[in-house]
Amino acid sequence: MTMLADAGPDEPAASWRIDRLGVVIALLLVVALALPFATFRATRIASGTGLLLHEALPAPAAAAAAAALVAALAGAVTLRRPALRLAAGVLALVALALGVGAAAAFLTPADNPYARIAPGSGFWVGVFAAAMLVTDAMVRLRLGPAGRLIALAMTAALIAALLASGAWSRLSLLAEYRSRADVFWREANTHVILAAGSLAAAVAVGLPLGILAHRVRRLRDPMINVLNVIQTIPSMALFGILIAPLGWIAANVPGAHALGIRGIGMAPAFLALFLYSLLPMVANTIVGLNGVSRAVVDAARGMGLTGLQRLFQVEMPLALPVILTGIRIVLVQNIGLATVAALIGGGGFGVFLFQGLGQTATDLILLGALPPVALAFAAAVVLDAVIEISGRGKP
Amino acid sequence: MIELSHLTKVYGDIPVVNDVDMTIATGTITVIVGTSGSGKSTLLRMVNRLIEPTEGRVFIEGRDVSHLPAHELRRSIGYAIQNHGLFPHWTVARNIATVPLLLGWDREKVRARVAELMELFQLDHDQFADRYPHELSGGQQQRVGVARAMAARPALLLMDEPFGALDPIIRAKAQADLKAIQRRTGTTILLVTHDMAEAIHLGDRIAVMDGGLLKQYAPAADILARPADAFVDDLIGVVDRPFHYLTLGTVGAAVEPGEADGAPLNADASLYEGLGALLWSGRKAAPVVDAAGRDVGRVSLDSIAERAARPT
Repeated sequence: MTMLADAGPDEPAASWRIDRLGVVIALLLVVALALPFATFRATRIASGTGLLLHEALPAPAAAAAAAALVAALAGAVTLRRPALRLAAGVLALVALALGVGAAAAFLTPADNPYARIAPGSGFWVGVFAAAMLVTDAMVRLRLGPAGRLIALAMTAALIAALLASGAWSRLSLLAEYRSRADVFWREANTHVILAAGSLAAAVAVGLPLGILAHRVRRLRDPMINVLNVIQTIPSMALFGILIAPLGWIAANVPGAHALGIRGIGMAPAFLALFLYSLLPMVANTIVGLNGVSRAVVDAARGMGLTGLQRLFQVEMPLALPVILTGIRIVLVQNIGLATVAALIGGGGFGVFLFQGLGQTATDLILLGALPPVALAFAAAVVLDAVIEISGRGKP
Repeated sequence: MIELSHLTKVYGDIPVVNDVDMTIATGTITVIVGTSGSGKSTLLRMVNRLIEPTEGRVFIEGRDVSHLPAHELRRSIGYAIQNHGLFPHWTVARNIATVPLLLGWDREKVRARVAELMELFQLDHDQFADRYPHELSGGQQQRVGVARAMAARPALLLMDEPFGALDPIIRAKAQADLKAIQRRTGTTILLVTHDMAEAIHLGDRIAVMDGGLLKQYAPAADILARPADAFVDDLIGVVDRPFHYLTLGTVGAAVEPGEADGAPLNADASLYEGLGALLWSGRKAAPVVDAAGRDVGRVSLDSIAERAARPT
């Protein structure tokens, strides 16, 4: 029936048709409005009091934020054009972001520097709903790889601008950051080195191993089996397993200690991430090379390409999208896993996460958890775009 | 001249190609025909050493091919296969230029050669040079595949079921084009097929293979008239044999003096086409004209039928 209604060119109701996902998003936004928008705590580890939107903000600001959210809610249900839905989602996100910053400034008592204002459950549900509206609209817009990269850059710029403007400076999360700014950037650096460095090592080793296993069939199954076994070891156990041999190397191999090799710290974390990365790299290299059509390989040989020319001019370029998919898996996986490295003194954002868990300080946990999530998300968007671009011109 | 001498390939204990001796004259089309598993592709692939023989030798113009590095040998021999094997990430022009670039030709010479080949194979340069293989029709892809194989002017062209993936109408056109191009360039062609009609249509000589053995190696007319054994007979097909035979002769060869009514036939049409035209128009005879349109006599059903009978 809806098909018929759609087909009618002079059917005014068609543009007001109810959107099913929009209804879910609207319900979530209603829930968000009914839940506490901000949480007030007298000290950073005291238990908090939830405050609704009209309690957390001065009346005009509360009204403006509520109006923006209701407008987005109505838009989610009724609007059909993806660009308008995107605008509705962005409106809700901006209202939530500015509102939570304003609430922090409004609620902080002048005489109590230890009081903490954090986003409440209503804020998080609202962000979730608005993000759903935005991503759904982006999918419907069918943005090309370049468009998605631009959208990512704009999002990053917006967040950077909010951070730099001081709109969020009273939020508890930023209070935690301010008291640890030096450490934060040092650990951020460590985190990126752990994730990207182990990826680089896995590419340097995994690519040749994959090519070898593709050429020498007998090696394929044993190699994949060994890597599979490594993949099944829980990360905590793998860190533990590596402590003894690396400790022994540090103590007995001359120069190893000077290179930073220890039983605990960055070395075992790096090695563990590297070992986890090998399976996706090797497996995707083999699958990618196997996917090159036999006729193409036969033609390349018959034309007189040497083995290396065939590999670099024909097989690798054709396998590239699959190999890049492996790199995407590894990078996203490593950004997440590197968080665990803090448990054995490897550093990274996990340092804050585990400190926060130890102190039951939610803000500190978030300080350790949000950056890796954002990094992993950005890495996935960038690599997806690269994969799509690399696959162009091929059937 | 290409000589295959005692060529043998054994996998495990099974000889896939068994002691084959063959001599192929320069400038001719030789077709190797057989069922699947007959060893015909293996035989072809031993010529450019995609498969190394267990025993025996291949000589091209007197030179033993095993004395050259395999990749250099292959650059001097054209190679076209079923499903064309075009490189999907390269444009049509880049695909055709594969071997010239491997041989280190300078850019201008490569560009000129690509343009020349695209014209020879009726592919508009402006329209197709920068397209990717998946943007082409099956027939166009096949033509690019053959153009690529001939790019560096190889004296010998190996073709493994080159028309296998084409539908019947495009296939007939591709066969006719190949024959015309071969007559013009004088390239020696060694072609593998499972289709006896294709073999008879294209081959100056036909080699029939079965179970790794070369059963018969002779001109098409001889194969039809005197099949070496029951297998060759089967491959030709008892019912089709006279019609195959008629495809070899031209109407001009069956001309007799006299006159006839109706549309004239061309002297260079095959007897098979002549027979079809007579049967369909319900005539006993038709006038025949030569290429210039001059009346040269007539052809009758009887004179065609005479030429469809087994020679004695």
